[in-house]
Amino acid sequence: MTQALLAMAQDGTLPELPETLRAAPSGEIAAALLISALLMAIGVVGFLSRRNMIIMFLCTELMFQGAALAMVAFSRHHMDVSGQVFVIFILTVAAAEAALALGLVVLLHRRRETLSAEAWGELGE
Amino acid sequence: MMGMESMGPRLGLLAPEMVLFAGAVLVSVIGLSRSAGMRRSVPLWCIVALVAAAFVSVETWTQERASAAQLLFPSMGSFVKPMLALVGVLLVLPGIGAIDRGVEGAIASGRQAFDALRVMRGEHYAFALFSIAGAMLLCGASDLIWLFLALELVSLPTYIMVALGRGSRKAQEAAVKYFFLGALSTALFLYGFALIYGSTGTLQIAGIRDAFAAQAAGPGIDMTGLAGLCLAILGLCFKITAVPMHFYAPDVYEGAAVHVSAFLAFVPKVAGFVALAVLLGTAGWTGHALIAADGVRVAYTGLPEPVAAVLWMSAVLTMTLGNVGALMQRSIKRTLAYSSVSHSGYMMIGLIVGAPAGINALFFYLLCYGIMTTASFAALAALERSGEEVDSFDDIAGLRVRHPAVAWMLAISAVSLVGIPPMVGFFGKLALFMAAFESGQVALVAIAVVNSAVSAWYYLRLAIVPLVAPPSARSATVVSAPSRWPAICAVVCGVGSVIVPLAASRLLQASERASEGYGAGSAVAGDESGPKGSGGLYTSRLTRP
Repeated sequence: MTQALLAMAQDGTLPELPETLRAAPSGEIAAALLISALLMAIGVVGFLSRRNMIIMFLCTELMFQGAALAMVAFSRHHMDVSGQVFVIFILTVAAAEAALALGLVVLLHRRRETLSAEAWGELGE
Repeated sequence: MMGMESMGPRLGLLAPEMVLFAGAVLVSVIGLSRSAGMRRSVPLWCIVALVAAAFVSVETWTQERASAAQLLFPSMGSFVKPMLALVGVLLVLPGIGAIDRGVEGAIASGRQAFDALRVMRGEHYAFALFSIAGAMLLCGASDLIWLFLALELVSLPTYIMVALGRGSRKAQEAAVKYFFLGALSTALFLYGFALIYGSTGTLQIAGIRDAFAAQAAGPGIDMTGLAGLCLAILGLCFKITAVPMHFYAPDVYEGAAVHVSAFLAFVPKVAGFVALAVLLGTAGWTGHALIAADGVRVAYTGLPEPVAAVLWMSAVLTMTLGNVGALMQRSIKRTLAYSSVSHSGYMMIGLIVGAPAGINALFFYLLCYGIMTTASFAALAALERSGEEVDSFDDIAGLRVRHPAVAWMLAISAVSLVGIPPMVGFFGKLALFMAAFESGQVALVAIAVVNSAVSAWYYLRLAIVPLVAPPSARSATVVSAPSRWPAICAVVCGVGSVIVPLAASRLLQASERASEGYGAGSAVAGDESGPKGSGGLYTSRLTRP
């Protein structure tokens, strides 16, 4: 298959690739990367500045999605699907983490009737 | 090319993980049994699974299988997997008798009927097995996806273990802290992985190594790749409790049950160091991975400058902040947590020195550290005061009068953690510092030696307070924990820290296998067949950028 495609490429008889398989213009990829970096930055800033546990958790989700978007963009740039396969795994693990986070948040709410991270202060000297 | 033909050998290499998964399923089912005797047998089955995994990992490991798997460190698993399984056995022991204590007591006295929702011994040990299996899987990581999933398999169960290990609010606070910071670190190294992928165009570790080699032969590894490596290191610093992601350690170790703290001090740390070794291996160390650019062979000149600088600063800060922090603690668990931070700093020297000597010394040190730190945590688990964990220096003052064995084991482990000669800690440090010295990292060795001297202050307090100080009012009320297994574990680890040095040369030889074969399949750019390792099962490369 690959050999045949290479031969066709050399002869110049390679059929035109459909729109979806052609390398995206670099501007589109740059835009996707910019958005992924923004998602990551918003996530980090939100995580460090907010005190509501659910918001903090959503911020980690934002960061995950930022990484996933970067994966997809690079995958398109390199015309290599493995980055997109990675994204499926990222989504799966993010879902597992969400289950855990909600479990912990429910635990917190039962104990303290608040969702503020500041309600926790028993540890430390 | 990695195709179906390499599936067989790779599955063979994964036998120990499969044993552990089977063990985890078995243990979680047995833990729900109505019979109290069956439930009590859970740790036993856990140990059986771990011993079987250790045995299988030695038996199924062959040179051919390892080299067929196309790993950066084909032989790493042959040392790391048995080490994880055997230290894992020691880590099972301190929890016996502590987990489910209240519920089991109520059921035994007839105050409460058996309720499958309220017992969690099975879950606890199953999660421990999953976490250890994840750390083992990391040794076989040939792919960033694999690396990511194995790292998550190590951490997710530990979050739950922290929350379940102890009924108190402190444990839940520790779990929330550990989980949120863990998620932050995961996001950081994930973004790092994305950038590495962007720079190299492949997710396969061997392919990344080849791409980095080709870049290094030309203008150098590009900014995207370097930023990716630095972010990945930053995220993984959480797993090894290294600066700047170390600050959670004292709080989490203090809040978690003491047997869980022992687990956190070892398994995630091994996982982090294995992952870091694999990631840094893609960028190469001095004198390795000959690469050819346009027919001219050039040797790597070492880790890329920014990565080496980040690692150097992190190592120095980690050991210094760890030791300074430990000096100021009144809680023993917090002291041990800071000690764990500082030991990570020493071990990072091994990462900077790199394969083979530094990586070998690093894994040997991990084994030594596992034995001695488990001894101290197990000694704490062997004691209690009015049903609570023993955690302050007052509690252990003059311990030798009423609990001589535990007092001695605490002292031995502390002396070993300083690195005083006949103990195992000394040999670990010796191997590490020798490797660093030979590679010319004199400044780093000097800083580490000064740090070891500083650490003697608080470790010797941990040795002298139980042995020499007069008993205090608090320590008079300290009694043995209901189960004798934590004490047995402490004795085994304590005696181990004294007698393991007798086998130090053999263990060092075994650890030398860890980096065997690194750099063997290094890239030859310009090779007609294209870079090895690119184009896996799911790669459909249509055009080359």
